[in-house]
Amino acid sequence: MNKKKHLFAEDSFFLSRRKFMAVGAAFVAALAIPIGWFTSKLERRNEYIKARSQGLYKDDSLAKTRVSHANPAVEKYYKEFGGEPLGHMSHELLHTHFVDRTKLSS
Amino acid sequence: MTTTTYQPGEIQGLIKINASKCKGCDACKQFCPTHAINGASGAVHSIDEDKCLSCGQCLINCPFSAIEETHSALETVIKKLADKNTTVVGIIAPAVRVAIGEEFGLGTGELVTGKLYGAMNQAGFKIFDCNFAADLTIMEEGSEFIHRLHANVKGEANAGPLPQFTSCCPGWVRYLETRYPALLPNLSTAKSPQQMAGTVAKTYGAKVYQMQPENIFTVSVMPCTSKKLEASRPEFNSAWQYHQEHGANSPSYQDIDAVLTTREMAQLLKLLDIDLANTAEYQGDSLFSEYTGAGTIFGTTGGVMEAALRTAHKVLTGTEMAKLEFEPVRGLKGVKSASVSLFDTELNQDVTVNVAVVHDMGNNIEPVLRDVMAGTSPYHFIEVMNCAGGCVNGGGQPIEGKGSSWLGNI
Repeated sequence: MNKKKHLFAEDSFFLSRRKFMAVGAAFVAALAIPIGWFTSKLERRNEYIKARSQGLYKDDSLAKTRVSHANPAVEKYYKEFGGEPLGHMSHELLHTHFVDRTKLSS
Repeated sequence: MTTTTYQPGEIQGLIKINASKCKGCDACKQFCPTHAINGASGAVHSIDEDKCLSCGQCLINCPFSAIEETHSALETVIKKLADKNTTVVGIIAPAVRVAIGEEFGLGTGELVTGKLYGAMNQAGFKIFDCNFAADLTIMEEGSEFIHRLHANVKGEANAGPLPQFTSCCPGWVRYLETRYPALLPNLSTAKSPQQMAGTVAKTYGAKVYQMQPENIFTVSVMPCTSKKLEASRPEFNSAWQYHQEHGANSPSYQDIDAVLTTREMAQLLKLLDIDLANTAEYQGDSLFSEYTGAGTIFGTTGGVMEAALRTAHKVLTGTEMAKLEFEPVRGLKGVKSASVSLFDTELNQDVTVNVAVVHDMGNNIEPVLRDVMAGTSPYHFIEVMNCAGGCVNGGGQPIEGKGSSWLGNI
């Protein structure tokens, strides 16, 4: 029992030193990779956002109808089923309530 | 008794860090709007579920692909597509059509609406464009805004508070619910387009499709991970409640049965051997694939505001906007604002409406909210989206190389 304890103490000393170096190396690696990553991202930042947004603006400019109130399907929905915006049916189907989530009990 | 920020039945902890892959590099912390990521530099990180909005920004920006979603409906959707007694309705969000092509070798931002309709039709989906529901959202949310504006000008007792916030972004809604419950009355009560689409598909849609609502399985395709959490909110079973009130007797079902992210839809198509890039264009197969330009720009920051102004202008003045492109709310500035002066035919006077658009929420929303709390906000209508750039850069979008697009804030 005593012997084991002694070995353990000695091991832990050497291991922790090795471990320290390993952790240090991993830390440096982890730091090094994101620095390169951040730099390359900085150069190309916003590129994807802009390209995708342009795609949507293009979809808008190509559309036959460009305003929501003139969508024939929306008109049909209100006429045949939904009534009118903010009406009884809308209140029931298209609106919701929110939840104070600061203290919900499970 | 344990307390949580979730309602019973909601998906908790949708976003998880894989401890075996995490290098503790802290990149994710730059993108978390609520500082929900714990762990020292160099040590494995973890996510505080109660603070997490499930927005997935950490996931798409992790350089080591160490962050994952815990819930996927992919297998369920495949089973439902194979089931002859079920009609699977695919609800396609605006931002998906300009990103899913990337997973099939097409260029970033390439508009693939027709191809996506074709590929999903081939997979067995009925096409329901969420843009249709976005148009519906404008009708409801825009009318609500005009109602509040008029009631405030007239000084009515029960006028809803201004500014009115948009309520389309589930990350933003959860942010207010967990941190600023006092401002919940300012949030528009209109459901998000995803939830409107689900409800309409199972009520009016059931009539149009001539089907029993129980046999309709709604799958939304979203650029957003937080939409999974939204769909699991227990109150979002309006179609079931509607049918119960009209004599039906069935176990409860949600308005949206399953949510797939853009990445998961690409995965599904690949599993079914459908190459979106080489699919013939398809027009859609019901009135629910009719949408407008206003509906489609919902997917980018400023789009909801622009769409709302187009309709508000028509309703208030009786005439269409001369130029539909409303430049002040476009672009990537953190907080964009504009003043619109118009002649209000109902009030018979000129009114000036001040609007603001906020995105990249974690970096930009706090000063705006402080003004609203203090009662000094100059704005009447504020659009908020959690992700930088809006839904086009959502947590469910394709990941380009290591990490997706972002606004540089380091």
